[in-house]
Amino acid sequence: MSRTENNILLFSITLCWAASYVFIKNLPPDLSTYAYLTMTCGIAAALLTMVFFKKIIKTSFATFLKSAALSGLLLFNLIFDKMGIDRLASSTASVLASSSIMIVPVVLIIMRKRPSRNNMLGAVVIMTGIMITSGFRAENIFSEGALFMLLSALVASVYTIAADKITKEEDPLVLSILQMWITAISGFIMWFLEEPTTFASLTYTNEMLSSIFILAFFSKAYAYVALMYSQKYSDPMSVTIIASTEPIVTLVLAVLIPTAFEEHFTAAAVFGAVVIMIGAMISETGFLFRKGGKKLEAK
Amino acid sequence: MKLSKPKQFFIVLAAFLVLGIPFKVMILVEGFTEVRPVNALPPIAGMICGPLGAFACGVGNMIADMFGTFNGTSVLGFFGNMAAAYLPYRLWHIYSDEQPNLHKNSNILRYVLICFSAALTVSWFLGFGLYYFFGTWIEDIYTYVLFNNFGFSVGLGTPLFIMLSSDDVKIACVHGPKKYLLLKNEKLKKSIPVIHTLIMTVIMVLILVFHFSPADSMTLGVLTAAGVCGIIAISI
Repeated sequence: MSRTENNILLFSITLCWAASYVFIKNLPPDLSTYAYLTMTCGIAAALLTMVFFKKIIKTSFATFLKSAALSGLLLFNLIFDKMGIDRLASSTASVLASSSIMIVPVVLIIMRKRPSRNNMLGAVVIMTGIMITSGFRAENIFSEGALFMLLSALVASVYTIAADKITKEEDPLVLSILQMWITAISGFIMWFLEEPTTFASLTYTNEMLSSIFILAFFSKAYAYVALMYSQKYSDPMSVTIIASTEPIVTLVLAVLIPTAFEEHFTAAAVFGAVVIMIGAMISETGFLFRKGGKKLEAK
Repeated sequence: MKLSKPKQFFIVLAAFLVLGIPFKVMILVEGFTEVRPVNALPPIAGMICGPLGAFACGVGNMIADMFGTFNGTSVLGFFGNMAAAYLPYRLWHIYSDEQPNLHKNSNILRYVLICFSAALTVSWFLGFGLYYFFGTWIEDIYTYVLFNNFGFSVGLGTPLFIMLSSDDVKIACVHGPKKYLLLKNEKLKKSIPVIHTLIMTVIMVLILVFHFSPADSMTLGVLTAAGVCGIIAISI
């Protein structure tokens, strides 16, 4: 897979996740996060299994364990994220959730896989852009909610780095299908603990079912398979950087479909998006390369 | 990876239904069309499975229509969706000797141009087909079909095709067409599709910018006749 192919793939995932907001809005407001997770991951897993059944039955126990580890990280990320969002203002929560752009290079340095200088500078610029876009104010940053959001970002960073290693050893397709199954089952257990009547407690409408199916195809089945494939041919920094362009994609989508987004077009939001774009460009180029630092090459 | 013919047909059909039916609630023109991410599939199905993939797209669209917009005009939808898959298959092999893939930037550009040409042809076919066979001209239909086809086949189709043509999956079930009955001459073979696309582009400009309608424009009639000749030359 060429670098251009990989970037297109990564960008399409960001597009799917940004666009999923339109369909999440169509879901009943009282739908539990675990119900959402069970249904979307369950449908995605069932569909992918039907198509790639032969690959799944040949799965080794080692692959299953690796998928379980990735699913565990995803689940912890979601739980910490939910606990953080419940306790913080949305702008503070979104900035802290995006802090994985800073955490990934730190974890890589700890693992003695030093990112390039361009990656480091790009990460700082992108983080600044995210703070500008979301109108971040240093309120409640020494609170329990902030701790949960930072834990969520840390787990997301570990997930990205772990997936980078595992996808190079295992079949990305099998990994993503198993992750979907394990996440759906874990989500169902949590849903059952929260609401024992689970599926029977929901009111089904055509709009709700359509949105669930659409989210299952795009934000789960497609996005996770694409993520696993692109991680195989990329490095953790590129994945994190392209994922961090989500505010730009959201802004563009809000221009194209204004009725579906409640985005406020402040000068700060546009300026922040430009800063993020500059950061992504800095990170993906190599003009600081000669001055030192080992650039992570996409394999 | 190579799939058997029944498998090719049913996988494309299932994908078409799975992607087509949930969006039936996102109506753009009542009784005719909706937001259609499923339009990402035909160019890929055509390039990977050839005429069989195109047929599966036509059947898939017909069945999906039964969940919301099924009426006499669904016959046009059947042929329109077949064309959306069959044309990219023919066009790719006119301009490339490789199996369809997006590994090079030139191939990505070729894919985008092919999708543009196919989207123009399909929107013309459906918009004008509706007028000539059912006596209804709806400019919005032309516009929505064009943007649905081009937008989704590039926006969603490109990354999907990248995955399907990657070294891990590499699905290729069909070779290029054995014969081009009317385009035997190499120069003609390369220039006719370009002329056809230019004609379709002129039609697009006349409709989207100048709001021409086939009811009161002789020019559109002439261009349509030329378009029919172009599509026949490319298809057989």
